[in-house]
Amino acid sequence: MNRFTRRDIVMSAGLAAPALILPRAARSAAAFPTKNIQFVIPYAPGGGFDVYPRVVAPVMEKYLPNKVNIVPINIAAGAGSRGVTQLYRSKPDGYTIGIINIPGMFILQQQQGAGAYDLSKFSWIGTMGEGERYVISVGSNSPLKTYADLKALSAKRPVKLSVTGPEGTAYAATMIGAQLLGLKTQLITGYKGSADYVVAAIRGDSDAVIAAIPTTLRFIRGGTIRALASFETHSSFPGVPDATALGQPELDNISVERLIAAPPGLPADIQNTLSTALAKALADPIVVKWAKDNDLIMKSHTPQETARLIADQRAFFDKWKKYLVTG
Amino acid sequence: MLQMWLGGIEGLLQVRELAFLGLGMFIGLFFGAIPGLGGAAALALLMPLTYGLEPFSALALSGGVMGGVPMGGSITAILLNTPGSAPNAATAIDGYPLAQQGKAGMAIGAAASANAIGGIIGTVSVLAILPIAKDIVLLFGPPEFFLLAMLGLVIVSTTSRGKLLRGLITGAFGLMVAFIGYNDVSGGERFTYGIEYLWDGVHLVPALIGLFAVAEMINLYVKGGSVSNNPASVKITSMTSGLLETFRHWPTVIRGSLIGTVVGAVPGVGGVVASFLSYSMTVQAAKESEKDSFGKGNIKGVIAPEAAINAKDCSALIPTLAFGIPGGVEMAVFMGILIVHGMQPGPLMLVDHQVEIYGLIWALTASCVLASFVGLLLVRPLARVTLLDSQILVPLVLCVAFAGSYAIDMTIENVVITAIFGVIGYLMIRFDYPRLTIVIALVLGASAERNFHQTMLMSDGQWAIYIVRPICLLLLAGIVILLALPIARGVSQQIAGAKPSAQGG
Repeated sequence: MNRFTRRDIVMSAGLAAPALILPRAARSAAAFPTKNIQFVIPYAPGGGFDVYPRVVAPVMEKYLPNKVNIVPINIAAGAGSRGVTQLYRSKPDGYTIGIINIPGMFILQQQQGAGAYDLSKFSWIGTMGEGERYVISVGSNSPLKTYADLKALSAKRPVKLSVTGPEGTAYAATMIGAQLLGLKTQLITGYKGSADYVVAAIRGDSDAVIAAIPTTLRFIRGGTIRALASFETHSSFPGVPDATALGQPELDNISVERLIAAPPGLPADIQNTLSTALAKALADPIVVKWAKDNDLIMKSHTPQETARLIADQRAFFDKWKKYLVTG
Repeated sequence: MLQMWLGGIEGLLQVRELAFLGLGMFIGLFFGAIPGLGGAAALALLMPLTYGLEPFSALALSGGVMGGVPMGGSITAILLNTPGSAPNAATAIDGYPLAQQGKAGMAIGAAASANAIGGIIGTVSVLAILPIAKDIVLLFGPPEFFLLAMLGLVIVSTTSRGKLLRGLITGAFGLMVAFIGYNDVSGGERFTYGIEYLWDGVHLVPALIGLFAVAEMINLYVKGGSVSNNPASVKITSMTSGLLETFRHWPTVIRGSLIGTVVGAVPGVGGVVASFLSYSMTVQAAKESEKDSFGKGNIKGVIAPEAAINAKDCSALIPTLAFGIPGGVEMAVFMGILIVHGMQPGPLMLVDHQVEIYGLIWALTASCVLASFVGLLLVRPLARVTLLDSQILVPLVLCVAFAGSYAIDMTIENVVITAIFGVIGYLMIRFDYPRLTIVIALVLGASAERNFHQTMLMSDGQWAIYIVRPICLLLLAGIVILLALPIARGVSQQIAGAKPSAQGG
């Protein structure tokens, strides 16, 4: 492997002799990567946005043309804005990439102002798996047995939903989901983290909870929670109505996306190298098995698909953001 | 059940697993001893390394780290008044005065044995309650948590004897600082004055490093000399004296371990609450005549928090594993390691991965006992640190303190917070204000507020919710008793006249 790489470099050096007049980016591509790649995680260690890169990065290294390490680094300050800003301002040479939370960053920009970065200008590498969809569920001891029961309750009094603080993606999903379902709600806000607010529903703090499917699935399997309606186009829960059956196809737009980005202006060939390595890593048996163990779908997206994805999410978010304005 | 226990031991008793356990323990000791670095930093650093390991090796390594941290943290807390990790702040209150009296060896010895015994008692209690762990976690909702936080604040503020008003002032100051940053319930930020760093609030660990380490170094430098003012006794005290102290104070050890176990099982409550509650309850329970010696080097003040910290470590696994709710940063990072290894914390974890869980519990216990032995071996050389002249010691400790503060998340603002709280801490020493209440208010303030609002949202504004829930009623009763007790004591003392009263709490 090592030998092959060396010959590769020698060959490219030979070819480069007449090509010295080529722009710098084109020359660097042949050799990319020659040093370790920094992977910015704008959150503290331990959460979902931290774990994905830590699983995928070592596998992704295998599929890069040269043997270098992809080193995850947590820059957790300012609810994610510091890490994203730092990524945005880095040199677009492919040696700094990072993970971006959508719609988390939309929400943050709405609260903090646009900040020093423009989300639409990033160079996209791809996604870390398919975005997580949502489901509305109740604790297994709840008197509500079906979605119709929930609607009936909503007709009588506001349905209490437990949720994270207004800066969280779960809050946006809950607000938009409740609007689309036409539920009258009262939110119990402020729970810390995705498991915490689901457990609140199990405990009976709230009537119901709108949470990402992988998180909810763990509790469904444990027999502590019951799904009433899935926000997917095609329900993955047997006997549970989905967005199509509820007549609200837009529910499927509510998701958490883990996008992989590089600073604006990344040369196309480096972007391609990274994107290909990421796609191969997501199809690698190690990652596939890990995803299966954790109920995640590890589908990859091309840079173009990713750019379209974020544009779609932007449009969807802008349509609903008036419900998310907070004091 | 027994099958699973043995399975866990069997999995652990492999050369490789034991090697990882030992390695983790040493890393834990080291990271625990350096202020700013703690279990969370160690685990975050090791996380990429565990990727290539078998799940059992990764668990042995993590268990080793988590078991070693408290011992390391207690060493610096006692020798330099610099809690290596946040829960050890309670240890410093009596541990450091002991070091000043030249009894650092005894204090470390007591901390080490309390650590080991606390860990073992914690393990036994966790093994006993694991089958019903899920139900215990579900008993604590926002109303219970709010009252628990209130109970914690009340216990701690009634501890500062004769300085109740000063305790309340610093407690209120702590609460004010705790409310800086995001409002979890209604969104938006408060009191941040346009400083982005403050959005996440005043970080606890940099503030603690300032309050204890920096403040003490300023104090020491102003006074001059060395930490210990009794060089002769530093050379005499050996580890055995400390060891014996722990066995002499069984009720304190048991009380601390049980408090640690209970507090650990409550989701979202960290080790700081465990160690401070244990410390305060010990002061409460002490004889009237003995109470004044706390804060001036009472060995029970070292034993109580240390026993609680290690007992807590074990039971903190319950909410983390059963529901995926980490009790603190360390557990959050540990959860990441579990997920990387395909073990998703949740209700099924307790069913699907029993052998691994028991392996982890054994690893944690073994590590904390091992770490205590290592701590004991180090007593002699370490105690000599207290003889160093302040001219040498102060710059060294300040460097480590500020670097540690920066290292938490590579943010320079941490250093500023440490410096500010260093000055505040020094002023508090100088003018004799208790630092105990400020710490507990910093830790509990934000979550108490959040849980209060959540309770009000749950009950549609009905205060009755605090009376109709059985656990709430129990906690309320505890608060009332604690507040009434000192008053009742005062009255009875007046009635008894000059007769000295000697009843315990």
